[in-house]
Amino acid sequence: MVDGVLNGIPLHWYLLVASALFCIGLYGVLGRKNAIAMLMGVELMLNAVNINLVAFWRYIRPDDSAGLAFVVFVFVVAAAEAAVGLALIISVYRNLKNVDPDSLDQMKF
Amino acid sequence: MDIINNLLKIVGDAIYTFLHNLIPSPFIADLIVMGLAAIILCTFAAVSFMGLTYAERKIVARIQDRIGPNQAGPFGLLVPIADGIKMFTKEDTTPTAADRWVYNLAPLVIATFALAGYAVIPLSPGVVGTNLNVGLIYTIAIGSGSVVAILMAGWGSNNKYALLGAFRTVSQLIGYEVPMLLNIIPVVLMTGSLSLVDIVNKQSGLDGGTGIPFAVYFPVAALVFLISGIAETARSPFDLLEAESEIVAGFHVEYSGMKFALFFLGEYVNALAVAFMFATLFLGGYAGPVLPPYVWLLIKAAAVFTILMWLRGTMPRIRVDQMHDMNWKFLVPISVFNLITVLLLGKIFTTPGSVGLITVAPLTQAIIMAVATLVPFIGALNLVGRRMRRQLAAVESETETRREANRATAAAAMGGTH
Amino acid sequence: MTLHQILFIVISIAVLASAVFVVTTRNLFHAALMLILSFFGVAGFYVLLEAGFFAVAQVLVYIGAISILFIFAVMLTRGMMGMPRNNSQAQGAALVAAAIFVGMAFVLGPLAATVQVPFLPNSSPREIGGIPWAYSTLPVVPDQYVFDLGRALTEPSRFALPFELASVLILLAMVGSIWVARERRPAEVQAERVEAANAAAEDTKLEEALERGSVSSAPEPAVAVAAADHH
Repeated sequence: MVDGVLNGIPLHWYLLVASALFCIGLYGVLGRKNAIAMLMGVELMLNAVNINLVAFWRYIRPDDSAGLAFVVFVFVVAAAEAAVGLALIISVYRNLKNVDPDSLDQMKF
Repeated sequence: MDIINNLLKIVGDAIYTFLHNLIPSPFIADLIVMGLAAIILCTFAAVSFMGLTYAERKIVARIQDRIGPNQAGPFGLLVPIADGIKMFTKEDTTPTAADRWVYNLAPLVIATFALAGYAVIPLSPGVVGTNLNVGLIYTIAIGSGSVVAILMAGWGSNNKYALLGAFRTVSQLIGYEVPMLLNIIPVVLMTGSLSLVDIVNKQSGLDGGTGIPFAVYFPVAALVFLISGIAETARSPFDLLEAESEIVAGFHVEYSGMKFALFFLGEYVNALAVAFMFATLFLGGYAGPVLPPYVWLLIKAAAVFTILMWLRGTMPRIRVDQMHDMNWKFLVPISVFNLITVLLLGKIFTTPGSVGLITVAPLTQAIIMAVATLVPFIGALNLVGRRMRRQLAAVESETETRREANRATAAAAMGGTH
Repeated sequence: MTLHQILFIVISIAVLASAVFVVTTRNLFHAALMLILSFFGVAGFYVLLEAGFFAVAQVLVYIGAISILFIFAVMLTRGMMGMPRNNSQAQGAALVAAAIFVGMAFVLGPLAATVQVPFLPNSSPREIGGIPWAYSTLPVVPDQYVFDLGRALTEPSRFALPFELASVLILLAMVGSIWVARERRPAEVQAERVEAANAAAEDTKLEEALERGSVSSAPEPAVAVAAADHH
């Protein structure tokens, strides 16, 4: 089974880069202390997913728009989630002067 | 006659074949041709920037009943060169504790984005920087990408007022992208393609086009696009945030010398790009009867830019809250209404060759759409005018009652002392 | 080495390097700018994959809107820029991320093409459900893929419903974020503070009651019900 090659670039190059970007975003979400930095990690993960989707669309079935529709919806969800997340962070900062998610534990009990 | 009409194409083809014969590898020859084209476009933009600053100062001066610069050279024609020398020789300051990379990169980014918008404008049949099939969104994306440079400038200056000015400018710019995008959609609807070359072909009568510029189809969309374009480049009357006579000149307060010259260039090049986009989208691009196509395009873009200069000389500045009010409470609803009307009418009255209810000639379709969108627009203007007049009358009556009360107390005081 | 390969390598270095900078820097504004560079790189990938519409859409949406949102949020939460950048679990997170990357590289990378999956005999991981992952000769992207995408998004039998739901989602996100992050007038701020103080007082009373009533469990539900009645 030979990989499809587009202008000299096989499919798995794109998949490797997308998974690397995903793992960097994952580290950003899990290992950072500032909530805005965590959101930046989430955006990186969503971009990695998009690269993956477009690569598969191009290499397997470029005449079917279902892959591209998926990409459009990931764009939409990423934008909506960034807006709501940042609004929440700004509101939390206004009330508590702190954006460290580890310290927002008032609902624990 | 044919040589003059296709002058750009003939010259371009000659350079292309010359380089391909000279250099064996076609890839490098292509690369050099593209580089030359980019250099020519950027030079054209920069040279026209020089001419435009001169023209602006002269025209605004005449509107304000004075002569304008006439000392540097005959009729002041060397003023742009004098300006350039002044900008080059000014001291290049950097604020202490400013973020050096961000501060120095911001003018470069804004100049790059301003010049990158010229790559997709069709100059002549067959002569275009690159015929992107998403050329229209490319222009809008470039415009919204230059907003980042303003934030970089504001933050890199390490100056509270620059940051606040940058925030307000960015809020104006991203606010006015919405009516811009909404009013481009009818053009795309009529053309069926996002490529600027296709849009111009549709308006020009060649290749099955209708020969009717889109300003006849959608006058309201054209007007609102022009207003949004003026606000996007932060020109007068929307320039309260960065005008020269304001005390804090907005986000570029800490820049001087060549970096400020780059900001200045970015603003004028952006304004010229808006003029070219308006000419391409709504006025028919290079289509025209007698003169060569590139001359027609230059005439149309110059006419639009003259309107921009006319507005600068005539209208007072709009306050920030008035500008936001106008955008979100007037322009966006009218754009949405315009879009829905055009979509419905485009499906009901169609030209021969498309699917729809009633088939009419293209000119009839254009007039129907124009009337159907102009009538609500003028009605909305009347409503807004009536509301403004009522508010003004209320304020007037309130001041009048207060004046009456003052006169009464003054008369009572005077009568009491007698 | 074709031009596309060179471009791919350059763009992937830009994307990954700026992503690493984003997740490891202390200065959030620089992180936002590097995020913008990363987004530009992803747009370059879309151009290489012959999906130019998504390249400009990426610039328009991510760089023209989401990055500006991030920069505004960084500016509005300015006091928190000097804090330590890493969590208490940062090393564990790095290990987990590295492990996941190694696993994915094994499945997606060039080596896995010859590994046999035990529970799916006669198939390789590059072929799931009988559909091969890639052909040796690629099909061609139709010229009007944007047109086809638009058709697919508005046709009732295809993706019209998710499209409408997406627009409702954006409307909700817009209204919600404006309401949550709006400027509150001083009277409103005062009222919120009073309410928060009352809630804190209720919580301390509940804790004290739990402390006292921890010997016998009977008063607990009564106190909980009484506290719930107060709200």
